[in-house]
Amino acid sequence: MNSFASYQLQDFVPFSADVYFRLLERISETWWPLHLVSLTLGAAALMLALFVRKYEQRGRLACLLMAPVWAFVAVVFFIQHYAQLNWAGNYVGYAFLAQAILLLWLALTGFGLSKTPATKIGPVAGSRLAAIGVAIGIAIAVTGLIVQPLIAPLLVATDSGSSWWQAQVFGIHADPTAITTLGLMLILLRGWRLWLVAFMPMLWLLLSGLTLWVLEAVEAVLLFSVLAAALAGCGLLSGRVTKVT
Amino acid sequence: MQHRVHRLTRRQSLKLLAAAMAASLLPAFPGFAAGGGRWQKPIPNSNKALPVIGMGTWRTFNVGNDAKLLAARTELVKTFFELGGGLIDSSPMYGSAPDVMGHALSKLGITDNLFAAEKVWSPAGGSAREQVADLQKRWNIPQFNLLQVHNLSDWREHLAVLRELKAAGKVGYIGITTSHGRRHDEVEQIMNSEDIDFVQLTYNITEREAESRLLPLAAEKGVAVIANRPYNGGSLIKNLKRRAEPLPGWAAEWGCTSWAEFLLKFIVSHPAISCAIPATTRIEHLQENMRAGLNPMPSAAARKQMARFIEAV
Repeated sequence: MNSFASYQLQDFVPFSADVYFRLLERISETWWPLHLVSLTLGAAALMLALFVRKYEQRGRLACLLMAPVWAFVAVVFFIQHYAQLNWAGNYVGYAFLAQAILLLWLALTGFGLSKTPATKIGPVAGSRLAAIGVAIGIAIAVTGLIVQPLIAPLLVATDSGSSWWQAQVFGIHADPTAITTLGLMLILLRGWRLWLVAFMPMLWLLLSGLTLWVLEAVEAVLLFSVLAAALAGCGLLSGRVTKVT
Repeated sequence: MQHRVHRLTRRQSLKLLAAAMAASLLPAFPGFAAGGGRWQKPIPNSNKALPVIGMGTWRTFNVGNDAKLLAARTELVKTFFELGGGLIDSSPMYGSAPDVMGHALSKLGITDNLFAAEKVWSPAGGSAREQVADLQKRWNIPQFNLLQVHNLSDWREHLAVLRELKAAGKVGYIGITTSHGRRHDEVEQIMNSEDIDFVQLTYNITEREAESRLLPLAAEKGVAVIANRPYNGGSLIKNLKRRAEPLPGWAAEWGCTSWAEFLLKFIVSHPAISCAIPATTRIEHLQENMRAGLNPMPSAAARKQMARFIEAV
């Protein structure tokens, strides 16, 4: 038998579903009520990204709020907890720290952040496509901030879940942090800079989605849907027409 | 990767035929029922016997420092020993599983039943000696009963070190492992050329590739065999339960009251298999697994009937 062909996805997930969901639960229990602060921070970032009058300031402020959140998730979620179950957890933690530094750098320099809304660039057709991309970004950010935390309570309500503490919250757990950030970046960036900042959140959503798929968790479908929508959004915001300034 | 094609010489063919005949002449159950009708099989070339049902720890014992799950796994180990279990198998590849075993043993104490099986694995880092010393600390035991080279990683170097440890009395038995039917040619080569006590491989009712060459060779060479992935990663049990497939009536004749017992009895009743290592997190599943080690065991004819039944399903 060919050695590589014999490997299955489940051979790369070294823990069971109950252990993973207990991990989410333990992190929630340890850091409550920080959830309220992190959710407020996420909501504030979304508001800033949408409504601050000076467009360039929107991106810088949003990135400034995101950077510490990514650093926190890198240390607390990955290095302190996830790495106990998966030796790769430390490396993902370092990648999240790198993303925090990237966001901080964007906040401090404003490099690549749009000075004009994507929807106001170029011919009408391009503006429409860009508007769809931004709408996708808003929907994704709202999914990360509101929809994903509701999954665990919904599962408990339908006798399919075991604890509200398993609710994943932006700024505390990795998945909603990656989702919300991805949404914000779709609102604020375009072109290759968007791909640069979206790469890490998208890579994590892929890895986490595959893990949850092996664990037969419903959240896998959400992550893959978000990933597909984000790829579409990035494509719409990276076209030739929207690049014209 | 280049695949070597092995053509058997006449001499090899005759040896294979002789091994097959030797295996067919083996008693149906080269073991004995100890107290409570629990089957044990002797480890070849030794005066020690192993209960035929052991316990694996891949995925199930990787719980980190979660106090609630540590207590649950400790309870599982306690029940395993109470039900006459012996061999527990782990690896540095299994995350925190060796630490979790250490936690359980520090709470329960080391029982005479325990047959601690560990592995050395190159990607874990450090030399084989360093890995073994580290794993002993993590298990909280003075020495392992069995040390294996995990998935044949750097097996020449590691096996040489394990041989030295055995000669120095720092481990009872040494061996190699593979899974998923990988690299059987190389396993066969090692069994032929190296002095090993154990080989661990995948063998279950739907993955029986080992029957053709490795199991007869193990019988011929006096190598104990540990069967991993007895439920094919859990999919066998899941599929049978999803189909709501009832146990065939004749399975009761061999003491099977659940699919777990049916599948495990098929494995451990093979004359060349010493022990199967199902993994679980639930006490009720562990109890089902352990019942598979009780009398009666299926005959050779019954084993064929079992395999045909599962193929038809």
